[in-house]
Parts: sequence; structure tokens; C-alpha cells
Amino acid sequence: MVQGGALKEGDTILELVDVHMHFGKVAALSGVSLEVKKGEIHSIIGPNGAGKTVMMNCINGLYRPQKGDILYKGQRINELKPYQRAELGLSRTFQKIELFGGMTVLDNIRLGRHIQLRSGIVSGSIYVGKTRKEELECRKFLEEEIIDLLEIEDIRDKTVHMLPYGLQKRVELGRALALQPELLLLDEPLAGLNLEEVEDMARFILDINEEERWRVTCILVEHDMGVVMDISNRVFVLNFGNPIMDGPPAEVQKNPEVVKAYLGEEDLYSTRR
Amino acid sequence: MSSVWLPCGDYHENYLKDQGWWQSSFIKVKMILLLAVVFLGIPFLAPEYWIGVATMVGYTSMGALGVQLLIGYTGLVTLGHAAFIAVGAYTSTMMILQFPWPQFMVDLGLAYPVSILVAGIVAGLWSVLFGLPSAKVKGFYLILTTMAAQFITVDFILTQYVSQIGGRGQAFSLPPGTIKIGPFVMETEREIYFLMAVLLTLIVIGLANLLRSKPGRAWVAIRDNDIAAEALGINIVWYKLLAFFVAGFTAGIAGAFWVSNTAALSPEHFPFFLSLWLVGVILIGGVGSIHGAIFGSIFMVVIMELLQMAVIPLAAYYPKLLVDFAYIKDAAFGLAIAGFVIYEPNGLAYRWWQIKNYFNLWPFSY
Repeated sequence: MVQGGALKEGDTILELVDVHMHFGKVAALSGVSLEVKKGEIHSIIGPNGAGKTVMMNCINGLYRPQKGDILYKGQRINELKPYQRAELGLSRTFQKIELFGGMTVLDNIRLGRHIQLRSGIVSGSIYVGKTRKEELECRKFLEEEIIDLLEIEDIRDKTVHMLPYGLQKRVELGRALALQPELLLLDEPLAGLNLEEVEDMARFILDINEEERWRVTCILVEHDMGVVMDISNRVFVLNFGNPIMDGPPAEVQKNPEVVKAYLGEEDLYSTRR
Repeated sequence: MSSVWLPCGDYHENYLKDQGWWQSSFIKVKMILLLAVVFLGIPFLAPEYWIGVATMVGYTSMGALGVQLLIGYTGLVTLGHAAFIAVGAYTSTMMILQFPWPQFMVDLGLAYPVSILVAGIVAGLWSVLFGLPSAKVKGFYLILTTMAAQFITVDFILTQYVSQIGGRGQAFSLPPGTIKIGPFVMETEREIYFLMAVLLTLIVIGLANLLRSKPGRAWVAIRDNDIAAEALGINIVWYKLLAFFVAGFTAGIAGAFWVSNTAALSPEHFPFFLSLWLVGVILIGGVGSIHGAIFGSIFMVVIMELLQMAVIPLAAYYPKLLVDFAYIKDAAFGLAIAGFVIYEPNGLAYRWWQIKNYFNLWPFSY
């Protein structure tokens, strides 16, 4: 990491500068700039097909924008592969659940700790000694910090593809957290959940953002306006690749352009209350 | 497959126990019995013929475990595994025959053990070479590139060039006494069996340990979802090549072991059919399980032996059966795979898992 030392609260952790991304003739992002401050929950909203997930994929490294810079802690990360960005402390969840279906819940979350572990094929195949110690420490961390936080004790030995959708979403969050990220990209963590699960998930997001132990900066893509307006520090509005505005939730709700493009004339975001 | 349920009343009190092998005393007794059968029962009680069959089971298992790692755990479908076994076998043989060993190494019987290790490494690197396309291609296309490994290695390099070294003609034979580990010369079925049992046990322990540590989880993650795996910090290309290396390494050891079994070597020992056979073994045994590779090997080798036994008496009435036995064998192989894929797609290992769970949960199976 170039800048060295931990960032303070309120420093810029991630910056997108004039990012352009197009697939053939389709412009998915045209000139998007975004500044995310450490310790905030920064939401990205917009109608379907606005380019929200493309933006996430650009930050995460699955896509490479044709133009523009992505700066993480002041370092340009355009050329880094996704796994290298993960090593810098960037983690994510996916809109459609992308868990490792054949593994147990515990193994999925353990896998999230991949970059923290040091075993190779030699020490791994011998196991006794270094790897065993490492695995025990890893297990202790996961049980005490993540499984306890997300309340998934009872399903830890279940195979993931057998679990209901809501729990799978929760496991995915756990897996992303196991990496101990500084910046977490949450791509529609609430989609497809029932009301109770939405409340749980929103509480988890607030927990990992606010608890002294975690203090994770979150970028949240979400359609549930009630939750977005409640928990976000800032909201970024995107419409078909064009940024409309970036500001605190209260301002966004009042902006006539946003209302026209996305929220609609009626007070849709209040339906969840 | 999720983990096996613990029997009623068994609890783990620390993570070490929960992550360990042999979690209950019943399993401990069972495993010790199994080891006793493998290391004492079969070599000292079974007739010599069946010791030879058990050796074949072990050889097949060693090959199948590598295929299992690639197909079952990393999701890289391979149809060229015989090539890497061949590389191991040839490396070991060439080292024994051509390498200018210092006399004390030969006297101490170190030449062959060292050649086994080198064979593993050379085969592993050779396998990585043919694994390179996996960085870009998946699925059917990868099958074709691994098939290229088979044809390039065995049919071209080994047959056309390596076999000519030393001017011995197509087949190499190892003089008696050259295959020697320490003071033991590998001659009788029993000695060869012991070598197999030790190597197989080491490979199984090594692989099982890998699969419960960082590299193993990375492999399974790549199999299940490579995009998510990369987003979580796994260098996909590196781990795929690592899988190829480890699979090639086990294949190389299997090949080097094969030399002791036959004391002769020719490219015909490693036909394309052997590659197919190993894939069939893991399909029958169960994809994605170490048990599966071993169950599959036992099943296939023993079935073929039984078939052979059935054919010999019948040949008195239908002499053509003996002539056609090779085809009958192939047909039985195809039939067995078709049957398993349709009726038990999870393989024998899944049945084993069900049986274990049944007894662990008995009498309250709900």
C-alpha cells in the first residue's frame, strides 16, 4: 500500500475518476466519478440496467474500464486483478448468490480467509505443525467473530446449496467478512429476502460498519429505498450510465431529477416503514 | 457431501478435535483395523494371486487420486493422465538405467527411491506444462488440450525418441536387483505390495491434508465458482497449475511404482484407454471424494478379475471367448459406467456416506 499507515475516519478510501465502460456500442458507464470516505455506507441506486453492478465489477476488477482511474487509498488499481485487489482489503458479495455450492457453510467462510493463511502444498500436505496451528486460529476467529455475529451457528456444517435463500445471503456476507476487508461491496444484499430477513441483514450491515471491531466501509447497491435512505451516509444516483447526483439521503429524495428517473412521483421509499 | 453426522451423545469440546481425523473411538478402532488388514492381513494371509490383484488396485488408486484431484476437486476435466504416469515411469527407469550413480548409492539401495521422488517432480512439471491452457479454456476445450498431452507424450515423444535411447529397442527391461529400496530388493508380489501400500498411504494422507488446508479449499472453490473465488483473493491460474502439479506428482509416483511391478517398460503400458479408465474409475467411485477413487479402483479391478475367472471355465465351451476377452472387458467397463451414471451418479462413495450416517444416527434417524 502506497500511502502507508491506516486511513483516518473521513479520508477518501476509494475514488473513481471519470470512468468510462462500454460493451461494444453499449455505454454502461459514461464518465462516472465517485468518492467514498472511510467509515461510511455509500449507496448506489438507480433503475434496472443503470450500470450499478458494472460499477461494482469495475471496482472489484472483474471488468476493466476503458477510460478513467480507480484509486484505492490513493493507489491506482486499474491494472490489478481481482485477487490482487482482495489482498488490498477489498471484498464483495454478489447480486446472484455466488457461493461454493458443494462446500459446507464453515468451509465457505474459511475460504474467505484465504488471503490471511500462509500454507502451501508442502506444509499443507504435512499438516501437523504450521498448518494445524493456522487452521485452529482461523477457526477460532471465524467462530468468535463471524459465525457468532451472523447467528449461523446451527447451520455451520450444512452444505450450502441445501440452505434457504436468506441464509445463503447471510453466508455470503460472512464469507466476504472473513477476509477482514476495509472496503466491502454489497451488491443487492437484500434482494429476495422477506421482511424479517431484511431487518436482520440491515442490522448486520450497520453492525459491521459501526462496531469498533470491524469499522468496514460499505458500498451498497440496493433497490429497497426504505433501507437505503435509513442506513446510508451518502447516496449516489446512476441513470443509464450517467451519474445524476451524489449526496446525503435527504437531498437525494428531494432532487426532482432523481425522483423522475427512479423514485417516481409517489413516495415509494416510505412503503417499507 | 456434507460431513458425516456424529453419533448420538458424541460432542467435540475443542476445535482441534472437531477438525481432526478419527473423531470417535469407534472410528479409531475401525481405521486401525483397516490398516491392519492392508499392512498385515492381505500380504500375509491372501494367496499370492490376490496380492497381485491388490497391487493393481493400489496402482489404479494412485492414478485415480490424481484424476480425482483434477476432475473431482478442481473441476478440470482431464483425459491425458496416462501420459503423466508414463513420464514418471520413464523418468524412474531412465534414471536407474542411465544415470551414473555413485557406487555407495547403489549399494545402499537409494537409486530407486530417489528416482521415485524425481519421477514425481518431473511428471508434475510436465503436467503443469499441459495445464497451462487451463488458464484460458474450460470444459470441453480443456479435455482436448489434455488429450494432446496423451498423444504428444506417449505416442510421439516416448515412442519415437525416448524408447530409442540406449538402443534397446522399443521395450526397456530392468535387470533383476536394480529395483532396490535400502536392503530390500523388489522381487516377490509381497514386497511390491508393501511398496504400493506405503506409497498409497502417503499419497492419501498428503491429499487429505491438502484438502483440509488452504490449497484444497482454493481448488474446491475454483471448481464450484471461479468468479467468486477470484473476487475473494484466490489466484486462479496459480492454483489450477498447482492442482496440475500435484496430480502430475502422484501420477509420476504411480508410474515409478509401476516399474517395480513389471520390471519392464514400453509405451504400450500407457495407452489412451488407461486415461479413460481412470476417469471411469472416479465416476464409479464417486466424483469429489478420496474414498471414491479407492472404491472405484477396487470395484473396477476386482470386477475385471472376476470376469476373467468367469471366462476361463466358459472358454472350454466357447473358445472364442478367450480370444475376445479384451473386447468383453471394454464392454463391461462401458456398461459399468453407464449403469453408475444412471442409477448412482454420486458413486460408491455416496453409498458409503449413507451407510455411515445410517449407523451414526441409529436408532433415531430423524
